[in-house]
Amino acid sequence: MDTLIKTRGLTFLDKIAYPDMEIISGRAAFICGESGCGKSTLLKLFSGVITPSGGTVEYLGKDTGKYDPITLRKEILLCSQSVFLFDDTVGGNFRQFYGYREQKAPDTDRMREFLALCRLEFGLDAPCVTMSGGERHRVFIAICLSFLPKVIMLDEPTAALDGQTADGLLSGVIGFCAGNGITPVIVCHDRALSEKYADDMIVLERGAR
Amino acid sequence: MNGIHKLNLLQFGLIYLLLIVVLAIMKKRGINQSKLLIVASVRMTVQLVLAGLALTYIFQNPHPAFTVMYLVLMTGFAIYTALSRNRGINRNFKITVAVSLAASGLAMVAFFILAVVGVNFFNAQYTIPISGMIMGNAMTGVSLGLKTFNQSICESRAKIETLTGIGAKPKRILSPIVNSALETALLPTMNSMLGMGVISLPGMMTGQILSGTLPTTAILYQIAIIIAICAVTCLSVFCSLYFGAQTLYNKRGQFFI
Repeated sequence: MDTLIKTRGLTFLDKIAYPDMEIISGRAAFICGESGCGKSTLLKLFSGVITPSGGTVEYLGKDTGKYDPITLRKEILLCSQSVFLFDDTVGGNFRQFYGYREQKAPDTDRMREFLALCRLEFGLDAPCVTMSGGERHRVFIAICLSFLPKVIMLDEPTAALDGQTADGLLSGVIGFCAGNGITPVIVCHDRALSEKYADDMIVLERGAR
Repeated sequence: MNGIHKLNLLQFGLIYLLLIVVLAIMKKRGINQSKLLIVASVRMTVQLVLAGLALTYIFQNPHPAFTVMYLVLMTGFAIYTALSRNRGINRNFKITVAVSLAASGLAMVAFFILAVVGVNFFNAQYTIPISGMIMGNAMTGVSLGLKTFNQSICESRAKIETLTGIGAKPKRILSPIVNSALETALLPTMNSMLGMGVISLPGMMTGQILSGTLPTTAILYQIAIIIAICAVTCLSVFCSLYFGAQTLYNKRGQFFI
């Protein structure tokens, strides 16, 4: 079991001090804690979207500041909570996101596989504008998974979902990750789901060290 | 053709009567802008009288220093106006806009005066009016381009955040925003080109014809200045936004917005 991500004395803007933690390769890590305790900020610190005010984040034993930022973000992929989709079809969104990463989009069969994995039954020509918040979030998660990163960080993927769909999504995503060498890091408010799927739990407290 | 028919000051005064018509209509329709109309008319009159006096003096006492001073003042004013309509952009962005506006504007003036017209660059009679038109239009373009760019940045926060998270390059994320702001800034110039000669006889050409220039010569100047305006708008807006966009993130690819 290799340590993928390791933090030491991590702080952000004097507001948040994190306990030292490790994310282990191949183990589903769940992050929980009350609102405003810095869960989303922690994910951004992991992939270097923001720089810590103090302390270090190491990825594979090397400070994240020493990686090329774009390469790092492609390996530690942040699937953010504020979902943005293009005013386009599901397939169009796959192509647009791949275009922004300067990569060739997967073929349509592959796209459908990822949609099914996220418990979506839309065709690729379904427009995303009319979808519900939860559906849009899952489309985005499907696209993020299809990039096959080393670590996928999902920020509250189940927030807008009913219990059954949430369970289905997590089992699909975590199963896929296990089979493809991807380590999932998931921010989740639902205690029952966290206990069911987590291999490791990281509990954050507001302002604590 | 003869020189222009001189205006008699008393007869000229008649034109101000038209403002009374405007005032009357505004009053009747409850448009509460009579103060603005008066202030604007007075400012316009005073500024133009001063400019007229200054230009008369410069033409009678030609000296390169005057031309240079006028250019510097004009460039400074153009930069100030473009930036004052777009507060809230960072310091490096402001510097980028100032340099882009000054460099592309002055280069265009130099090309126009030296290469196209072929007179001395310090010839005030050519350089001052031409640079006024070029700088003024570049200023309007940059102002509009910046405003559009800032607005779309504000509206695209979620998009920028999402795309940053999945590992898109900042330059790639901003590039469509730069492009569409550039397009918006260019459209007014191109649209006015469409109607030219049919719907409108542009100011420069009208002025030259009134002062006795052959219309065939006047249109050559007009065509040249319109193309120069189109080019300077494109150049100054492109440079401002393309290089300005790069001040929005650091070398770790983190956005400041």
